[in-house]
This record gives sequence, structure tokens and C-alpha cells, in this order.
Amino acid sequence: MRVLLAEDESLIRLDLRGLLERAGHEVCAEARNGVEAVELARATEPDIALLDVRMPRLDGIAAARTILAERPVPVVMISAFTERSLVERAAEAGVFGYLGKPFREDSLLPALTTAIARFEELAAVREQLDSLADALVARKAVERAKGILMDREGLSEQQAFARLRKASQISGKPMRVIAEAVIATLAPRER
Amino acid sequence: MDDPLRVLIADDETIIRLDLRDLLERQGIRVCGEARDGEEAVALARTLEPDAVLLDVRMPKLDGIAAARRIYAERPVPIVMLTAFADRASIDRAIEANAFSYLVKPFREQDVAAALRTAVARHDELLRARRAIGEKPQREVVLGLRSTSGGAWPNLRLGREPDGSLRVDTE
Repeated sequence: MRVLLAEDESLIRLDLRGLLERAGHEVCAEARNGVEAVELARATEPDIALLDVRMPRLDGIAAARTILAERPVPVVMISAFTERSLVERAAEAGVFGYLGKPFREDSLLPALTTAIARFEELAAVREQLDSLADALVARKAVERAKGILMDREGLSEQQAFARLRKASQISGKPMRVIAEAVIATLAPRER
Repeated sequence: MDDPLRVLIADDETIIRLDLRDLLERQGIRVCGEARDGEEAVALARTLEPDAVLLDVRMPKLDGIAAARRIYAERPVPIVMLTAFADRASIDRAIEANAFSYLVKPFREQDVAAALRTAVARHDELLRARRAIGEKPQREVVLGLRSTSGGAWPNLRLGREPDGSLRVDTE
């Protein structure tokens, strides 16, 4: 996986890079502060971001929030500071894991792996939500197209639907496309 | 402060259970139950309905992986695994059994509490998204459409074309 690494101490960055590369991962970007982390997340689109909490310019939790608002990605925090209020702030910002420093190789790698797995699960559910939103748009279009066919062609509701369905099958295009085509060509012009 | 998280812990070693209870309570997390093996963990998860479950992998009667699978099937709850093994195959088995996070022994106080808190937050998000879709996650969604004019409508099954566009099929 391609990892974005954000940590202000260069020694720790080196350490983390070594650890990740030994495990077969690619460090696609190294940020020295939160602002860089946000910019590099945008530019390199990593598979996962590993962010230190206490960093100059913008702290890791604020950086995580900005990164997540731009593009969903699994984020894991690392920090010497693990008090409840910080962890809760990070959890609320959307991170998938939070590890104390000094980090241990055998804790860090499982945290990244599980973060990616659970992130993908959440992303899949979100995609279905989007497709449902699409479906509602499709449903409205089909309802409207059906009404138009009933008016113009004197068809029953089922006949109108069957006609849309048939057009969809013959053309290989989704019902929504057919419905939108019917609306575009047959709908009374709006004033 | 809001209500503390209620966590069920499962480990066959009494000392580790004591240790876990102690460190979690120091972090403001309540241990609502202690299981000594996987079967007890499944039974206690059912009766106590904890906010999260912390499971040792190697336990008698039923191991932590099998217990995680059963607990999650009965009621989705964030599960954090505790184990001495950090190899990829063990991690993959835990992920496949619905574990949300994975901690390697000897664990540290701050890591256990933080793993539980982040797992609970993300799992809540997952449950909310699933609920918004309507019950269980599935690849396709069936909408029972009701006609505006009272006529019968076939059920539409909504899916995805390979190219990502929406597919609508009648039942």
C-alpha cells in the first residue's frame, strides 16, 4: 500500500519509513507538518495516512479532518500524547486508529492493515448509499416519463412502464436514461 | 462527562483480565463483563450488550476469532483483538471475523483505550450508514415502488453495471 507519512521529527520519519518499507509498503510522501500533510494527501492520493498528532503549523488531528473532508482515506494517528480528550477529538475527526509513541513495529502494521480493511467496508456501504440516492433520482425520472407516456399515448400505467422497460432492454441502457430521454423529447416545455 | 463506554473483556488468564480491567477503568472505560473463554464471551456479549468487545485470540473452548465471528453475527459491535501474533495470516483471519482493530501483546494502556475509542467511533459510523441503506449490507437494493395513481408497480432491483452506472431491473 502507498502510505503518506506525516511527522515533524526527521529521525522518527526515517524510522517509520524503514519499518513500512521492510513490510513491503511504499511511502509515497513524507510531510513535516500538518499543512504539508494536507497538500501531499491531495497531490499523492495515498491508500492510507499515518499522522503524528503534535506537529507545527497544523496539528495532525486538524490535518486529518481537512484531508478527510477532501477525500476519504483511512487515517491512523501516532502520538506520545494519548489522553482521552485527544483520542476523542481524533475519533470524532474520523480516524481509524490511534497508537502511542514510542510505536512498536508489531502494533503499527496490524493497525494499518485493520484500518484499511474497515475503511473499505465503510466505503462500500457509502457507495451503496450514493447508489440509493441515484436510484431515487432514477425513480422520479421513471415516474415522470411514465406519466408522459400515459398522457400522450393513452397507455395504462403498466403498459407505460413495460414500454420504458422494453426500450431499456433493447437499447441496453438503464431505465433512468430511457426515462430522461422520454422527458427530454416528450415533456411539455416549461415556461 | 458522558456515560463511559461499556466493554466486555475476554482472556483466559486471570492476571491479564485484572490488568485490563484496571487499565481500562483508569482510562474512564467501564468493564461490564469478564469472560474466561470464547463461549463465555459469546454468552456475555448476548446478555450484556456491551459497546465494544476486547477478545484474546487464544482461549479455551472457542478461540477469539470464532467468538468474534459469532458475536458479530448476533449483534454488530466493534471488536478489538488481543494477541501475541502479528503475522499477516493471523491479522487477515481477525479481519475476516469482523475484528475492527488488532493489538499485539504485551499491550500498553494507552493503546488499548485508544483502539477501543476509535473502533467505537468508526463502527458507529458504519452502522449509521448501513441503517440509512436499510438493514443489512447487500450488493443490490430492492425498492418496492408504489404508484402515485394507485396502480401496481413491479419491484425494482437496483444494482451497479460493471462501469459503475445504475442498473434497474424488475423483479
